[in-house]
Formats: sequence, structure tokens, C-alpha cells
Amino acid sequence: MNSRSPGSRPSLWLAFSALLRADLAVLIKNRRALLLSILLPIIVLALGSSSRESHHIGGPLSVIGLAIALGLISTSILGYALTIASDREQGVFQRLRVTPTPVWAIMTSRLTTQALANVLLALAVVIVGSVIHHLSITPGEYALVLLVSVLAGAVFLSIGQALVGLMKSADSVNAAARAVVVGLILLAAFGQRGSLGTTGGSITRWSPVGAVMTLFAAVLNTPAWDTRDSLSLLACAGYMLVFAAIGIKWFRWDAR
Amino acid sequence: MDGVSFRVARGEVFGLLGRNGAGKSSTLSAIEGLIAPRSGEVLLDGIDVRRHPVHAKARLGVQLQATSFQPQLTITQIVRLYAALYGVRMAGREVAEGLHGIGLGGEAGKAFKQLSGGQQQRLSLYIATVHQPALLLLDEPTVGLDPQSRRQLWARIEDVRERGGSILLTTHSMEEAEALCDRVAIIDRGALLTCETPRNLIEMHKHDPEVRKLAHGQVTLEDVFVGLTGSQIRE
Repeated sequence: MNSRSPGSRPSLWLAFSALLRADLAVLIKNRRALLLSILLPIIVLALGSSSRESHHIGGPLSVIGLAIALGLISTSILGYALTIASDREQGVFQRLRVTPTPVWAIMTSRLTTQALANVLLALAVVIVGSVIHHLSITPGEYALVLLVSVLAGAVFLSIGQALVGLMKSADSVNAAARAVVVGLILLAAFGQRGSLGTTGGSITRWSPVGAVMTLFAAVLNTPAWDTRDSLSLLACAGYMLVFAAIGIKWFRWDAR
Repeated sequence: MDGVSFRVARGEVFGLLGRNGAGKSSTLSAIEGLIAPRSGEVLLDGIDVRRHPVHAKARLGVQLQATSFQPQLTITQIVRLYAALYGVRMAGREVAEGLHGIGLGGEAGKAFKQLSGGQQQRLSLYIATVHQPALLLLDEPTVGLDPQSRRQLWARIEDVRERGGSILLTTHSMEEAEALCDRVAIIDRGALLTCETPRNLIEMHKHDPEVRKLAHGQVTLEDVFVGLTGSQIRE
């Protein structure tokens, strides 16, 4: 056994890499949930493959943006928030907190793992979407998609964090997360099609899901980048900061 | 908690006794750094737990009352994770040997929840001592265990003491306190009532009228405990 001298400060890198390994192992164990999260975007891509449908939603790039946004909503709000709430209720965090590992390392490991899942999901959706819609996507656009998926994932993760910050019991978080996800999906599906009228369309466009969809569509067609895309980027950053601040300020490690 | 003050010596097994809600777990939580006392200090080998939590926690081994590890991990993965969090790098063979040593060699691929109560406690104690802590905190470690598992756990606690570690445990079992503890402290309503060896406590209180009323023959530690904390049910 390679041991440090008792009582000395343990290596942060050793602790963080062990946390990352454990969180990745949990992610792999939950692969069925991850695959189900990819299923929804793939269905959206398939449904939006007819030129008539894709025209309603704003073209193939918007369909891909919508599909990625829905996938990220599912993994980040349902997956992340429910896991955190359940681990908190079961006392997993209390057990981790009595070790010398700083709490930020515990959370950073969780978020890093979730960000990795988000990037994989976004890549899978872009690849499938480009095949279905016969789009040719450059390596530069792929790189931008990865960047935006990290940002978009952070927006939805921060919403998930706000939910676990504002609610203590796993049951409450579960109910609220499902309500938020359904709300965002409906907003994305109907608002984007123009079914909610002018005001509804504006609300959709500047909602977290609308801003994220706009960004994805924009980075898949960078020559057409305009002011609205820049404002969507700012809106995403704003949502992320506000929800993360709420989630961190009111987060309690113990559910009691 | 108010005015609770005690010292645990090196190699000592110290018991914290009290009714439900007396403040035993809160005292442990303050030592573990899970709650911050409004005043006072907790020193571990001279290190202030609140000011230097990382160094203090590195000297602590903890078994919580309701231990829960990540439900998706196998116990091998759990041991490797927690060893690393305490700065101990363990190869797969070392983990296997360690699990074999606590009678869990055949369960290495199982999840924590799939183990029996006794197996869970053995694993929790193994993880709590994997870094050879200066102070081991055990919150009601034998609750729900059969007599065989309880005796096995006592033997492991004795092993820790023989290696020079100190142990602070909470328990509702007076039999356990008498069998294991060098000294016990009784707390009630957040205040420390007394702190002595079990034998001295009995000697000091065996003539108290309240204690005499409760005793059936020879006065036991339980008679003294109930005499000091009251026999009425508060919950």
C-alpha cells in the first residue's frame, strides 16, 4: 500500500482523480439513462427530417439545435439534479464531506463528468443530424458545437443546481425537475413553430432553451452570425450565472 | 450543546452516552466539521478543526450513523475511492487482500446495499481506518447487529486501540460501554453531566436513591445512566 504519513495533507490530485474515476463509473453504470436521453433528440431529428417540418421549425440547423437542447435538458436537469438530490438524501455527500477532500473538488468532479456526457450527447446528435439532413459540417463547426454544448450544458446544469438548492427533499426535486423539463420542452416545441403567437415566440426565443437553440443553429452556420446570436450568447451566460448563484447560495449538503 | 468539554487520550476508547436527541451525534458532527459550533473549539492533536479542517480531517476516521456510499459502485471501487480521498493509493491486489481480511473477499463485486448489516459495518470500519487515523469516531456502530457481528466489531475496535489509535464512540448499549470504554461521558439536553470510568461511575452513584430505586440487585451502568438522565420518556 502506497501510504502517506498519517495526518499529513492528502494529495489533492490523487483525491480528485479518484472522484472523477468514481463519477465516470457511475455514469457508465447509468448508461441506459444516458442512451434514453439521446433517444429524444434522435426522435426530434427524425420527425424534423421532412423539409416541411424542418421549415416549420426554422430549417435543419434549428432542428439540430432543438434536438441538442432537448437532450441537454434531459441529462442536465433530470439526470444531474435527481442524482444530486438522491445522493444528498442518502447521506453520500455527508460521507464524502468528512474526508479531507475539499467540497469544491467533490462538486467539480460531478460537473466535469456531466459536462463530458453533454459533449458526447451533442456530438452524437450533430453527427446523426448531419446525416439525416444531408449537411456537411466542417471540423471548425464541430469544435464550435463542442464549445457551445459545454456552455448550453452549463445553463441547464445551473437550472438543475438551482432546483437542488431551493428544494431539500429528493421527491420535491423530482417533481419540480419534471415540471421544468416538460415546460421547457413544450416551450421549445410550440414556441419555435410559432404556435404561441408573437409574445410567445419572443418568450421562447429568449428563454434558456430558445437561446441555446439559437446558439447551436448559429455555430453550424457561422457566416450568418448576427446580433441576435451574440445576444443569445449573452443570455446563456446570464442564465448560467443567475441560476448557479441561486443553486450555490442555497445549496445544503444535508437533506435533514 | 452548551459547555460540553472533554479530552480523549491517545489509545483510549471513550464513550459518549445519552438519550435520543441528547446531543451525541451533534458533538460528533462538530468534531467531524459537519456543523460549526457558535463558540468553543475542537482540537485534534493540537490542530483546530475549524481553522484547519483539511489537516484535522486527515487525522480522523469516521463511521457515520447512517453510512451511505455511492449505490452504483462496487465495494472494491468504494474502498479505492475512499483510500485515495485520505491519500492512500491502493492497488487492486491490496484492496482484495483488505476485503479478504474483513471477510468480504467473496463480495468484492457487490454494491454496498447488497451487503448484510454486519458486512456493511465491517466495510465502513475498514474504510474509516484505511489511513490509520489518530482518532476514530464511531456513531452507534453496533446498532442492528447480531451478537456475533457485534463481538467481531468490538474486536476490531480493540485492534485499532492496540495500534495506538484513540476511539470516540456513541452508543445506547450500556453493555457495550462497559465492555469497551475506558471512560464514558453522559450528556443530556446538550450538557455534559459526568465523565468517568464505568466502574467509578457506578461506585460514585450506587447509593443515589434514584439509582437504588432502578437497580435489580447489583447496580449497573444502565441504572446509573437512567438515574442521571431520568426514567420518563420524552419523545
